[in-house]
Amino acid sequence: MSSRRRAWRGVFTLYMPVAPFVFFALFPLYFMAVTSLKKNAELYDTTTVPFWIGRGVTFGHYQLLSSDTLFWSWFLNSLLVSLGATVISVALGILAAYPLARLKFPGGDSFGVAIFITYLVPPSLLFLPLTTVVTKLGLADSLWSLIVTYPTFLVPFCTWLLMGYFRTVPKEIEECAMLDGCNRAQTLIRILLPVAVPGVICAALFAFTLSWNEFLYALVFVSPAELKTMTVGVYSELIRGDIYYWGGLMAGACIGSLPIVIAYVFFLDYYVSGLTAGAVK
Amino acid sequence: MANVTRRQFLGAAAVAGAAVALDRAPAGAQAKELTFLTVASFVPDTDKELKRQFEEWGAKNKVKVRLDVIAHLQLQTKKAAEVQARSGHDLTALGPGLGDADLYFDYLADLNDVAGDVAPKNGGWLNPDDYLIRGKWKLLPWWQPPFPMAIRTDLLEKIGEKAPDTWEDVLRIGKKGKALGHPFGTALGHSGDANVTLLSILWSYGGSYVAKDGKTVAINSKETRAAMEFVKRLYTEAMDPEVIAWDDASNNRCLNAGKCIAIHNPISAFESAKKDKVVVPGSQTEIATVIDHVHTPKGPADRKATTGFWCVGVWNFSKNQELAKDFLRYHFQPENQSKWVEAGRGFNMPFLNNLTKHAVYKSDRQYRFIPEVAKVTVPPSWPGPTTAASQQVWDLYIIPDMFAQYATGKMTVDQAIAWGEKEMQEIYAGRRRKQ
Repeated sequence: MSSRRRAWRGVFTLYMPVAPFVFFALFPLYFMAVTSLKKNAELYDTTTVPFWIGRGVTFGHYQLLSSDTLFWSWFLNSLLVSLGATVISVALGILAAYPLARLKFPGGDSFGVAIFITYLVPPSLLFLPLTTVVTKLGLADSLWSLIVTYPTFLVPFCTWLLMGYFRTVPKEIEECAMLDGCNRAQTLIRILLPVAVPGVICAALFAFTLSWNEFLYALVFVSPAELKTMTVGVYSELIRGDIYYWGGLMAGACIGSLPIVIAYVFFLDYYVSGLTAGAVK
Repeated sequence: MANVTRRQFLGAAAVAGAAVALDRAPAGAQAKELTFLTVASFVPDTDKELKRQFEEWGAKNKVKVRLDVIAHLQLQTKKAAEVQARSGHDLTALGPGLGDADLYFDYLADLNDVAGDVAPKNGGWLNPDDYLIRGKWKLLPWWQPPFPMAIRTDLLEKIGEKAPDTWEDVLRIGKKGKALGHPFGTALGHSGDANVTLLSILWSYGGSYVAKDGKTVAINSKETRAAMEFVKRLYTEAMDPEVIAWDDASNNRCLNAGKCIAIHNPISAFESAKKDKVVVPGSQTEIATVIDHVHTPKGPADRKATTGFWCVGVWNFSKNQELAKDFLRYHFQPENQSKWVEAGRGFNMPFLNNLTKHAVYKSDRQYRFIPEVAKVTVPPSWPGPTTAASQQVWDLYIIPDMFAQYATGKMTVDQAIAWGEKEMQEIYAGRRRKQ
């Protein structure tokens, strides 16, 4: 088969079938970007085509975010909270998943199911009792309130995901290490974790994304403007009564999506293998 | 790998714990701090002026102050969490609606003394009996955005009509406008605007949902039927079906996009159109120059309207209740109220007689009817008193749902009223809690 024919075949068998999915995935990002660059007058005009910019580009909405709000502080807060909560959750998830995946002990299966059920309890039910806990711990109005509470929904998820991944790693390599003198902790750190890097990265990516997008706890536990996370800060400042600053909201959403996009671009292969590893056991 | 003994681990954990604990100074060493939670005004200068006054008061009294601003839709969640933890801000915005005073009655400090101090300096409260909950001032009514009718003067000219004075005028204008692609617009979904406009229509046709005793559900009446028949005609003949899905921002967008011939709304749409220099589609005419605001329409029985009654209160679990009351006295001084209303360009009209005559309402022709609308503005529970139940009827959008179910043909008028009556009876009997 000639190379030209192969290329044409690729267009029909690969690119064309994939195109609708790519369009579906990228359209919100595109629409956000276009809206964030339009002037307000154009945003209101229903006679213009909403999918591209007809009356010139403006960076005014980005300027508004930078100069009239504490956007970059919120961005940094989101980053700190998400990284902190992710590190804690993945570490705890590993410590919980390992015994559940490897050790036989009474109630082990029930414990695994219990962790999964914990994950199903919605934050909208938990935020009221958690407010009391956060206040009693003296963590209200600090970023620590979020770093400490986010693991309540991240740890069960990480544990469940890592349990599945750990079970795909052959037990025999750990047994060999133990024969050579490793204890349980050493086996976990020196043997299992290096093999399970895709699973750990997958769990970390999920945890980071969930923390980055979290809204309710960030709204309830933190009030000072300079300590807000991005999700709450943008919403608080750019929705004023019945006036929505659409351009500014979209500019905030565009910048806010960048760290997630960058993280997935770098770790996509790990992410895919981490998610699918359990499927072919 | 370096081995860590159990003792080393516990030692490190203790040091880390101490570091976190020492991050805060002991309570006694901390300066007094007064905190205030409020909602973002659509005119940002309002919040800036409030902050200025708060900081000025703080500097005079050597108190550290912190004003936290959130979107109004976030307030319900925040209030619930602070009450649950018995901790949070000292001062808090409450509403929309006076019913928070009843819902949070056990958690709000009495403000009888402050209300008494504030009134004489400002010509008295507008309707003081409306603001007393269970005979007490549990909050101070703070500001209201009156609801005039915003209309497009150029389109009125085109269809040979004058500004509407009655709801029937609105229907006629809306029909003619819709034929030209410019319908009337008012939300019929779950939004504050829908509550306001539909209650205004209900009262204008002589109906009400609760009797004067504040206990008897009075929605099942021939006046309600007349109001519902009117809204059905308004919906089918003068509006687009999209109004069922509208939120509070949608009618502003419809007017400023040049589509709607009229909307029932505070002056926010006009102000944002002016600020953003929005033009009439297909022309260079700024749309703000062809918008006018007239009185809220009257019906066969009455001319009444309501609005979001924004209030301010002090939590009784606050450790700074006296400081909070002192700031309220400062903020409600006539000169401070005047500056604050001016910063809000009159959008934030206080419930105080002298402030309804503020010079800002004479500064622009657009504002001329706002004091008039304020005069016919009553709490949503009218003619009954405000209670936790009336607040739930508002918060659960029972009135918009009842009207929409008939207007869209989902139910007959009798079915829709029976549904609304049952919901309200359950709420007033205390069988249904807030969702």
